[in-house]
Amino acid sequence: MGIRPILSALMRNRAGAILVALQIAITLAIIVNAIYLTTQRVTKIGRPSGVDDQNIFAFWVTTYEKDYDYLGMLRDDMSMIRQMPDVVDAAPMNQVPLSGSGNSSGYYSLPDKKGENSPANTYSTDDHGARALGVTLSAGRDFEPNDVVYTTADARAPFTPASAIISSGFAKALFKNEPALGKDFYDDQSHPIRVIGVISHMQGSWVGWDKVDRTMLFTYIAPPSTQYVIRVKPGSIDRVMAAVEVAMRKRDPNRVIETPMRKMSDMKRRSYAGDSLMAVTLTTVTALVVVFSSLGIFGLATFNVNSRTRQIGTRRAVGARRYDIVQYFLAENWLITTVGVIVGCGLALAAGYWLSTQYQLPRLDLYYLVGGVLGLWALGQLAAWQPALRAAKVSPAMATRNI
Amino acid sequence: MFGYYLRLALASFKRNPGLTALMVMAIALGISVCMITLTTYRAAAKNPAGDRSSILFAASIDSWDPEDSYESYDKSLAPTMLTYRDARALYASDIPDRKVIMYRSGGIYTRADKGMEPQYFRTRMTTADFFGMFEVPFLYGGPWDAKADTGPDPVIVLSKDANQKAFGGANSVGKVIHWEKRDFRVIGVLDTWEPMPKYFDVSNGSFEAMEGAYIPFAWGPILELSSHGNTNCWKTEVIDSYQAFLNSECIWFHGWFELRSAEKQRAFKEGLDNYVLDQKKHGRFPRPLNNYLYDVDGWLKRNKVVDDDNKAMLVLAFAFLAVCLVNTVGLLLAKFLNAAPTAGVRRALGASRRDIFWQHLTESGVVALAGGLVGGLLGIAGVWALRAWYGRFVDEALRALPFDANNFLIIVAIAVGAGVLAGLYPAWRIGRAAPASYLKVQ
Repeated sequence: MGIRPILSALMRNRAGAILVALQIAITLAIIVNAIYLTTQRVTKIGRPSGVDDQNIFAFWVTTYEKDYDYLGMLRDDMSMIRQMPDVVDAAPMNQVPLSGSGNSSGYYSLPDKKGENSPANTYSTDDHGARALGVTLSAGRDFEPNDVVYTTADARAPFTPASAIISSGFAKALFKNEPALGKDFYDDQSHPIRVIGVISHMQGSWVGWDKVDRTMLFTYIAPPSTQYVIRVKPGSIDRVMAAVEVAMRKRDPNRVIETPMRKMSDMKRRSYAGDSLMAVTLTTVTALVVVFSSLGIFGLATFNVNSRTRQIGTRRAVGARRYDIVQYFLAENWLITTVGVIVGCGLALAAGYWLSTQYQLPRLDLYYLVGGVLGLWALGQLAAWQPALRAAKVSPAMATRNI
Repeated sequence: MFGYYLRLALASFKRNPGLTALMVMAIALGISVCMITLTTYRAAAKNPAGDRSSILFAASIDSWDPEDSYESYDKSLAPTMLTYRDARALYASDIPDRKVIMYRSGGIYTRADKGMEPQYFRTRMTTADFFGMFEVPFLYGGPWDAKADTGPDPVIVLSKDANQKAFGGANSVGKVIHWEKRDFRVIGVLDTWEPMPKYFDVSNGSFEAMEGAYIPFAWGPILELSSHGNTNCWKTEVIDSYQAFLNSECIWFHGWFELRSAEKQRAFKEGLDNYVLDQKKHGRFPRPLNNYLYDVDGWLKRNKVVDDDNKAMLVLAFAFLAVCLVNTVGLLLAKFLNAAPTAGVRRALGASRRDIFWQHLTESGVVALAGGLVGGLLGIAGVWALRAWYGRFVDEALRALPFDANNFLIIVAIAVGAGVLAGLYPAWRIGRAAPASYLKVQ
């Protein structure tokens, strides 16, 4: 069957065809870019943290009284909490992974600020820190009690640890592909820090940071405040949280305990709030656009069938099979969709370019565009299917009747 | 005539209820998505300084690392905070009408009479002009004066919330509260005050909660009060004391200056540059001269308070609305052309082209109005859902979403406008149809 009769029929309702093509064009531009952006956000949110983030909670403990026995408080709190039921382990820590707040320092692979350099989130904790976070060591050993430096001096005093457990991301930044275990790295004053353990993967405090997988743990405890990080058995977090709060207040009311205590799963959700909102919005709009476009195509096809009942009847009367009628309408739809996707490709690339300048992202991946085009072709055919079938049911006798 | 057109429109809706519902929903959804994103965008893009925006200036001077620019994405930008030395130097200028230097600290507050549970309050260390400059409302008492800054006097201003926690909300002016081993006398209590975005300190979060307490800046160095906020350092320095920290190149201070005339603005900027040039002679400021005075608008842009996601979503929403409108034009066209024989009969009975045009435009208008109303309600529901779901425990920015009737009216007006626009072509097209052809087949 030739394309010419289809074209000449289309020309009789140009406006309708143009509108559908335009709609398809904008739809393609929206869905290709929206799906591309959504995929990136979903991938970002789904990255493993390396930390047992569903079973950890944390809270600040701040002391304010003069000559308060800070180290005694830590010792007593920790031995109490670590013995509570369903607690896997607990540790004091200066910052909490995924929380959005924390600090970092720059380090070097050689003394005198030479060699490779990289920043890392610095977790100051005690010998239970790694277990309280639930991180996995891929090499070396965990801290031992005599690795921990306790001081009564203010936390502001400068301190460089002698040893550290570092994440594989940080190890790779400093030592490339060489094994990091047993090597020294240096702070900006050339103090050496020995790597005694490597964590297979651990995310730091700021999920939006491109160096989020560069972290290090060291053992240093100083007043006047810290966060307690508590890891519990799965499913027991609410119970343990309530019990810890009561026990902490009872043991010593003379310090300030942050309440409500914060679950790491909430901190994580909060840190990714923008990304998840973006992903949800983009997905919703994509779904709506697809629905409306199909309804638009369906509407136009229905209208075309209705207004051409006599023409169809005539064609049937002069020998066209039902199959030919169906094919005719599907071909017409395919033609409109094709014009739409051609214009749409241009629009999609333009929008993708604009987004890439906005976000400093790689340019729109062309696979997404190919997928979008194929998807819209299929969608168009599906939406036109029912009206085309209806057209095929038009009786040849229609040719002889008035409407 | 309009009433008659309305009746015709309603009759036409009854003929194709599904199609009509589809058009109404298309407009409604397009409109509601726009309303939701527009509300988020406007919340972030708000400038709470109002008409004072153009006379308040934040100073940004390039004291950063010679090897590395402050922002990796734009090398021309300077740091958004100041070192202690530079904050003090700028504060010494007598050009500004008002001047403020400040940073955020915090700690545990208590009362000697044990009348309150020990509480952590974020505390803004600031200078006397802060309250006038940012138009801070007082419930009880008032701000301290410049003399209290130099003393410094042990005075404190509490937020309404902090006063509730510390003194049960009573007028606490003259009462004493204890912090960092010192007694502070309450001199004022603020009324509810939550400018969003928190433009005077975006470095610590544009939508962060306000501080609980305000204390004269000079207490910072005396009591060695550390920064409880963003602190950035680049230089290799031995920082082994609070004094060394103050003397370092670390930045954690903000400087705001009220400059009411263009002349003063020029003079102050010149003074800024001269100060940096002079410091260069002493070996500081290794980067090229690169200083800025931002008014509030410029400051919010410089700090990307409206983030890229907000912009992208707004563009997306309007593209979606475009799809919905194109869809509606197509459906209206199909619907009108389907009913063309009726229009042909009306023409034959004496209706003019203009009558037919207005009749159909009325029909589009009614569809649009219905779409606008439904869309407005959906939009309100959407904003509510955002606030309830994301705002509850996730995002301060969304908790502050405005919820006003104006937004609703604007959106309904846009919907009707857009719907009528969408109806123009189909109505014109049907008005042009020749009556004879339809009469023949009938």
